[in-house]
Amino acid sequence: MREILFAGLGGQGVLTCGLIVAEVALFNGRTATWSPSYGSAMRGGAANCTVKYSREMVYNPSLDEPDLLLAMSESALALHGHLVKKGGIVLVNSDLVGGEGFGRTDVSVHRVPCSSLAQRIGQPKGANVIMTAAIIKLLGDFGFEDGMRGMNDMFRKKGKERFEKGNSAAFEAGYSAV
Amino acid sequence: MAEMMKGNVAIAEAAVRAGVRFYAGYPITPSSEIMEYLAKRLPELGRQFIQSESELAAINMVMGAAACGVRALTASSGPGISLKQEGISVLSDEELTCVVVNVVRYGNGLGTLFSSQCDYFRETRGGGNGDYRCIVLCPSSIQEAVDLMLTAYELAEKYRVVTVFMTEGALGQMMEPCELPDFVEPPKLPWGFDGKYSYKKIGIFDRDSMQEAEQLNRKYETIRAEEQRWESENVQDADYVFVAYGLPGRAVKGVTRQMRAQGLKVGLIRPITAWPFPVKAFAEVNPGVKGFITVEANATGQMVDDVALASKTVFRDRFVPTHALPCVYGLPSRKFIMDGFGQIVSGARKEVY
Amino acid sequence: MAVSRKVPAIIDRETSFCPGCGHGIVIRLIAECLEELGQDNNVIFPLGVGCSSLLGGGLVTDRLHCPHGRASAVATGMKRCEPDVTIVAYQGDGDAYSIGIAETLNAAYRNENITMIAINNTNFGMTGGQMSWTTMPGQKTTTSPKGRDCAVTGNPIRFPELVASQFDVAYAARGAVTSPKRIATVKKYIKNALAAQVNKEGYSTVEVLSPCPTNWGLDVLGAMKRIEEEIIPYYPLGEFKKREER
Repeated sequence: MREILFAGLGGQGVLTCGLIVAEVALFNGRTATWSPSYGSAMRGGAANCTVKYSREMVYNPSLDEPDLLLAMSESALALHGHLVKKGGIVLVNSDLVGGEGFGRTDVSVHRVPCSSLAQRIGQPKGANVIMTAAIIKLLGDFGFEDGMRGMNDMFRKKGKERFEKGNSAAFEAGYSAV
Repeated sequence: MAEMMKGNVAIAEAAVRAGVRFYAGYPITPSSEIMEYLAKRLPELGRQFIQSESELAAINMVMGAAACGVRALTASSGPGISLKQEGISVLSDEELTCVVVNVVRYGNGLGTLFSSQCDYFRETRGGGNGDYRCIVLCPSSIQEAVDLMLTAYELAEKYRVVTVFMTEGALGQMMEPCELPDFVEPPKLPWGFDGKYSYKKIGIFDRDSMQEAEQLNRKYETIRAEEQRWESENVQDADYVFVAYGLPGRAVKGVTRQMRAQGLKVGLIRPITAWPFPVKAFAEVNPGVKGFITVEANATGQMVDDVALASKTVFRDRFVPTHALPCVYGLPSRKFIMDGFGQIVSGARKEVY
Repeated sequence: MAVSRKVPAIIDRETSFCPGCGHGIVIRLIAECLEELGQDNNVIFPLGVGCSSLLGGGLVTDRLHCPHGRASAVATGMKRCEPDVTIVAYQGDGDAYSIGIAETLNAAYRNENITMIAINNTNFGMTGGQMSWTTMPGQKTTTSPKGRDCAVTGNPIRFPELVASQFDVAYAARGAVTSPKRIATVKKYIKNALAAQVNKEGYSTVEVLSPCPTNWGLDVLGAMKRIEEEIIPYYPLGEFKKREER
């Protein structure tokens, strides 16, 4: 079973990022759960969600010990950095998160400047898709094609196929960034 | 094919497919997505949706719809359901039927928004005045919730009681793959008003409360005998049997399976009906069982009372200790369950009963 | 020329109100109006708690005893599910205006297509004559033993005027059952209110000033006289929202 924590600020698209990974897992024959923080936590500040996927039932959908943390902001890293499994992965948005360490040497840290990268490829709203692709590559459970197809399938089901070209470009950029 | 769906949305659509004609409710986190979804969905189908001025008004509007013999729904959370108790008591007294969804959140008074199971006592005992019970269903996954919605109405109508659909904040807010059932078109219920006095309902002053009490007891006995639902595994040879429902039930299932794989003789009973409590599940338990352990998302341990009573009913010749591991809110982690289990086995943690 | 009146078919037995009470008159008027409008076999009564509950023992119709004060919310659920059936919430002043003011006002606020008949006898009758929100200034009740002090209780509420002036309702009126002439006017109001609902014009309400000799400590004629001399000056009779005004 895989556990991923997507954490950042409201408006950064972390909830969608988590949902894409869950949908990619589902598309590729896994079962998945997506659990957001909700309620007062939704108002002006942190946003995060936990995604778990597995070949069998996901028994406990809530946050426990993530294999990977996506930290889209300084506060996300500061709040959740200690939760990551020993030997796990931390993926940070280096446009917003400084280069100093966060007290962990037992995890591998990957830095992607997703906001500026999104601007550079002409997809200013694609930072979260860039990180989605990076996560899929870092975890290695699904290949490039499986990830891309799963993502596009999700947006098609939501009637948002008009964004497919832009999403695909962002996905490619993210997959190459790690 | 199963699609990722949010719990509250899946529950709302399942209710639509079960033939719900009427919804009245008031917004409250973490249940609001149910009414938001139905605000669009029910009018689309020519059915009725009302955002009421209060929780009180909502349950009374549902009562009006139920009196007219349609499938009616309301949903809320903790304190909102407190306000509905007056109406639930009257619905029960008038033998009217509806489903009340409680997306449980933690705390007394206004409480918090944390996912919880702290309303177990209120839902299973009948939280209003008088002497009634509601059938209480407690799904542990979105798929199970969706599959139980039609059952919730069928049970309510079979026995003319209110069904409480007891979910949890986390189940309402999370997404997981889910397949929706087909649509059903229920006929108007035979006791529904039509303005023509077709159903000869008698006024309250002509009722015989003593006779009704006997009938009510017989009805509740029948429900207890016929409608217990549960899932259990590995109880026949278990030294310890865990009892947990809803999302914690599902989390405990994962942990007990791991414990089994490590050679620990543990089993699980996961109630699907919190009332009637699945006493029959305990009859299948190893006669030499050393203890029962509830894992509950509340502060004080509530279901542990029912487990102790079930144990007393089934193990008449000896005392079996009943323990509680209340995790207050959220879901119990593997570590929480394992630490608690260790304390129980070593004797460091005393039984509740 | 004298006209003989027959008892409406939905009234199947004598009511059990106190001597001199106005409830029975109003229930008779409602039944006559329903019959005249062809609605007597097409009606549901959500009933208040209090003396208004006793309607439930006097009519053979669909009727539900609602939680105290909630009849207008129950009526709303009924009307939405049976839009072609006439729904009459029958309530007292304590039920409709004290404990039930939120549900009562909100049904008017939504302009729900129901009719609410409120019997205003300036006290909680069933429980033995306690102060309600329509108790007159200075009126002695079991919970205002020195007379109602409006400085600490607020002033008696005028519901038909309130909804007629503030909300977009179809019809609002107040009558009194103190004389044959006044009773005939109340019947006209009730018929207007019910006709408004049948024509799907929206919310309609009639408040009826009604004697409560038992709790007022007066004889029947004395109670009638009190309404004329003391209550009507505060609670004016008439139509506050006429049907054609809408």
